[in-house]
Amino acid sequence: MTSSTTLNQSSSFWVNLFLQNRELSGFIIVLIYILVASILAYILSNHIAKIYRGEETIISRYARPFITFFERLIGPAAKKKMKFREYALSFIFFNLVAGLVSILAIYYQNYVPFNHALATDNFSLIINTVVSFLTNTNLQHYSNPLRFTYFSQTFVLMGLMYIGPATAFAVSMAFVRGILTEEGHLGNFFHDVLVSFFELIVPLSLLLTVIFIIAGIPETTMYYMTIHPLFSGSTVNLPLGPVSSWESIKNIGTNGGGFYGANAGFPLENPNWLTNILEFSAFTLIPLASIMSLGKVFSSKSFGRMLYAVIMGIFIFSAMIAFFGEYIGIPSMSGLGFAYTGNMVGKETAIGLASSTTFGVGATMTSTGAADAILASYTPTGMLGIIVPLLMNDPLGGVGTSVLNIFTFVIFTAFIASLMVGRLPEMMRIKLGSKEIKYSTLSLVTHPLLVLIPLGATFTLSFIMTSFSNPAPFRITALLYEFGTSAANNGSEIGTFLTNQAYFNYLDAFIMLFGRYFIMIFQLVIAQSLASKSPRTEGENAVRLGSPAFGLTLFAVMIVVGVLSFFPVLALGPLLSLARDFSLFIWRI
Amino acid sequence: MFGVSSQQVISVIKTTLMQFNPVSELRNPVMLLTEVAFILSIFMAIFPGSFSLPTSGSYEEFYLSVIVMLFLTLLFANLSYAISEGKSRSIVDSLKKMRKETVARKISEDGTITTVSSSALRKGDLVDVQAGEEIPSDGEVLEGSGFVMESNITGESRPSLKIIGDGVTGSTLLTTDHLKIRVTSDPGETFIDKMIDLVNAATREKTPNEVALTIFLAGLTLIFLIVTASLFSISVFLGTSPNLMVLMVLLICLIPTTIGALLSAIGIASINRISKYNIMAKSGKAVENAGDIDTVILDKTGTITIGEREAKKLYPAPGKDPKEFALDCLKCSHYDLTREGISIAKLARKSGASIPEEEMASYEFTPFSAETKSSGVTRKDETIVKGALKALEEKYGLRDQYVEGVCKEISSRGGTALPVIKNGKFVGVIELIDILKPGIKERINSIREMDIKTVMCTGDDEITAQQISQESGIDEFVANSTPMDKYHVVLREKENSKMVAMVGDGTNDAPALAKADVGLAMNSGTPAAKEAANMVDLDNDPTKLLDVIFLGKQVLITRGALTTFSFANDISKYFVILPAMFSSFTVLNFLNILNLTNPILAVTAALIYNTVIIIALLPLAIRGVSFRPSSANELLKRNLLLYGIGGAIFPFMAIKLIYVLLLIGGASW
Repeated sequence: MTSSTTLNQSSSFWVNLFLQNRELSGFIIVLIYILVASILAYILSNHIAKIYRGEETIISRYARPFITFFERLIGPAAKKKMKFREYALSFIFFNLVAGLVSILAIYYQNYVPFNHALATDNFSLIINTVVSFLTNTNLQHYSNPLRFTYFSQTFVLMGLMYIGPATAFAVSMAFVRGILTEEGHLGNFFHDVLVSFFELIVPLSLLLTVIFIIAGIPETTMYYMTIHPLFSGSTVNLPLGPVSSWESIKNIGTNGGGFYGANAGFPLENPNWLTNILEFSAFTLIPLASIMSLGKVFSSKSFGRMLYAVIMGIFIFSAMIAFFGEYIGIPSMSGLGFAYTGNMVGKETAIGLASSTTFGVGATMTSTGAADAILASYTPTGMLGIIVPLLMNDPLGGVGTSVLNIFTFVIFTAFIASLMVGRLPEMMRIKLGSKEIKYSTLSLVTHPLLVLIPLGATFTLSFIMTSFSNPAPFRITALLYEFGTSAANNGSEIGTFLTNQAYFNYLDAFIMLFGRYFIMIFQLVIAQSLASKSPRTEGENAVRLGSPAFGLTLFAVMIVVGVLSFFPVLALGPLLSLARDFSLFIWRI
Repeated sequence: MFGVSSQQVISVIKTTLMQFNPVSELRNPVMLLTEVAFILSIFMAIFPGSFSLPTSGSYEEFYLSVIVMLFLTLLFANLSYAISEGKSRSIVDSLKKMRKETVARKISEDGTITTVSSSALRKGDLVDVQAGEEIPSDGEVLEGSGFVMESNITGESRPSLKIIGDGVTGSTLLTTDHLKIRVTSDPGETFIDKMIDLVNAATREKTPNEVALTIFLAGLTLIFLIVTASLFSISVFLGTSPNLMVLMVLLICLIPTTIGALLSAIGIASINRISKYNIMAKSGKAVENAGDIDTVILDKTGTITIGEREAKKLYPAPGKDPKEFALDCLKCSHYDLTREGISIAKLARKSGASIPEEEMASYEFTPFSAETKSSGVTRKDETIVKGALKALEEKYGLRDQYVEGVCKEISSRGGTALPVIKNGKFVGVIELIDILKPGIKERINSIREMDIKTVMCTGDDEITAQQISQESGIDEFVANSTPMDKYHVVLREKENSKMVAMVGDGTNDAPALAKADVGLAMNSGTPAAKEAANMVDLDNDPTKLLDVIFLGKQVLITRGALTTFSFANDISKYFVILPAMFSSFTVLNFLNILNLTNPILAVTAALIYNTVIIIALLPLAIRGVSFRPSSANELLKRNLLLYGIGGAIFPFMAIKLIYVLLLIGGASW
């Protein structure tokens, strides 16, 4: 490539090699990110496996007093063994109360301390924001931190950032228990929430807060810092605030909502390459560790390895598309003969191409949705790498949902694979009846339907489409992204149109609610159904879930379901943009 | 057509047409949607203006071809249903013919005999049946014995002997003697009635597995419906007015019409095929269960071995001329028409012995009896006896170290020793061995290749059992077993959460049959056994259990393979129809990887493929996909390659071929 022309020459062979072959160094950076995340997740996976199996963890000693205290507070409800109905009702009730309290608190935020923000009287925005934080989406239709006070941010939104992941992890505990147990109950919701809160999420976020403070991210409650830029007469108010603690739960809880509007692209949220890789590892930590723990939980190491390989296969595939898409940028530009460094538009130079794209793909692979670059400025190819995981309902998932999401595909694949080897459908040596298949199918169709129905409807409403300014194919991409991110509870935003209007605020809130609670309830039904079935001993003649053949089937099913559902829209969105840009630049110049 | 009578063809056509009734399509959401699309397409073609469709000549030809293809899709789906349903109906019809009313002689409590209609008989009634009469209802023999012709049920042309305690089936013919029978079922509940119900129910009811698959297909159909609808609004937004007819073709091509059309045929065909083996399955579920078996419990006698032994070698006593010994063996077995006797005579002749028939006529034959445990011939100057060693030693008060040694050695090899005594003196020993059923080794091997464990139960001793299991490739054996042992084996396997299949015929097999996941009862078995089992073999061939397992697997694989194929096919259709639909965006032409330049012709080709593939796969659905018994992993890899990857690639080639053929054929639009 042309990159050899202007870059500094160094005496070291290796430095030269990586400086002059940016494809290679980019490729290696992607692998380093994934390697670091995998190592950290592997360390945590033992801890999560213990939680899933209900065993003592190293934190149990310190967490027990808190858990016991809250269990006493809740009373007998925290003791009894729950079946599906009770578990699901407790879960929904808990979320409902948290949501309602939050709505009230934000509505009256101007009457409580630490108020430096503009008044928020837009009710649809409040609903949207609370729902999005409650559902671990963090779709921020508001511009942070101008709209919400420090109080709202710290106590309400950050509270929801803890509650969302904790309840989801509780549901995943119930799901795993459903597979493991034969006794027909799913455990106790309140106990599960407390355990995931005190033994997993809080310790990790505390640890990360400290690390972030050391790395230079602010943590304060003081008023906005006023800056007088050197060459301009104006003054700038720079909001600081409790950024570190926000940032740690944002990533650990796979929430992804930034303290600042520009999210991790803002230097105070993500100052340098170290915090970038730290944040990346933090938001992939629990989802990846949960997936890795499954091998230990179900005493089938090969199953854990298979899931890891399939998900990481999709991850690396998407990350490479995103990186090389951005690296190549617009072919006509690199063909001009200048040293073209790839599409740096909207990316932080301190972080660079490979790190930014990997971060971006990681954010849509998990349900985090953080961003350290402007997604709207991605090339169509780069965008494909970002949006494909989103349309597969975040293959790596979020806290708790990682296990729930991957099992929708695993159950369905086990169904087809069992049939193909001439067995009645079974998974983990447990028979899959029509009930499991029914709810697994419902989980599987929920995501595409939640994206495609609003998408199709919105295009027919011309008054909604007025706030778009980009070319038509990009509008399709933008809308697809908007509903995809809501349905997958991801929360990253491509924007480029007015999202803060009642139509999108309410519609997205609905999509987020359904996308989260429908799939969770369906998975809980499956768990309940599996809970009373006794496992069969390892049959040699059954499909082994850990085998490469099953892994390949799972991979194919995930890709094909995703592709079949969204290919037409992708063709008219990113692919049409891609084709147009290429023809525009290549054939005209 | 398919080698059936014209009457059957008419009934198939009738069922096919009846299936067009949308109500009967309700059970199949995929076909229901296709039918709606078909009706819609007619409206569109008649009133193109109100759907803003272009109306030039070539477009009208296209609309017509869409209507025809949608009609054919429905027709093929209904036809596949009708053909398989027609087959099972002919089974029902032939069963119904058997169930005619006969006159029965009922024995009252006081012993008087009254003549009643067979339909008036109730459970527990006693009836008297004379030679040449039909047995009026299912029952159990209380008194007498006689040969019963069961050819109308089993197809076996030789009458079988029924003695006290045996079960008899209604509508079979007593050919000799007379029987006193206790009726064991009420009218409408006899074996034949049940079979009719079963075949009917199997046609009507979906197995849990089919239900699950239907739900999944409905989910996919829903997604594609929404995909197509959203595509409509997006293309409106992009300013290209989409051709509704093309959009509908896309929908029909995407929804899983292939598996949707063939699903019910696969299920019904499995019941038909198992009936072809002369096995009556009590439900389609039982057949599917058979595919899922982890452990098979087999009886040695009748399943693995023929049940009789064959002479292998002659051991003359020391100092005895081998030729002379062979002659003695021939003499004592000449009239012995058991398989053992015949085989001994054959071996003796091969060893050079021969005796004219006239000379043999002077001998008197004593057949084998349980009491003497020996058989032989006597003439005034000569007595030759063969039998069990112990029995002979006791009877004649003889001990012979050589003979004892040979006998011991033979039994240590798992064979049976048959010493021969001539005029009160041991003259040698005949070695008999169990003969495996022809082909049984290969079949057990194929079962083992599917990682199914085989357990053999035999009343023989440890050594024989080990010998046979080694020879036939059985994994595990239970020697000196009683029927209760079978039950224990079933229990043990069930406790390990395994699926168990077994064969049984006696009443004492009933608990095990009931407990097993697949219990195959012999038709010659007692009513209790037949009641407990979920399949009944009319030919009394226990080896068929292996066929049932094979068949069960095949049904499931067929379903899985066709679903995968149908699913994988969709990829190609996107690459054909989307570029055609948005041919106005020339930049999207890079999606047109097949390079089909005429958009409407491309859409037609995709639809033709979608239609023709149904009828092309119908034989496969009815016959079942072929598979080589192998481990699950191998099967998965193979079927994934064949139906997954093959299913993704094949339609690309097929559609291109159809497109080229259409061009050559002069389709101009």
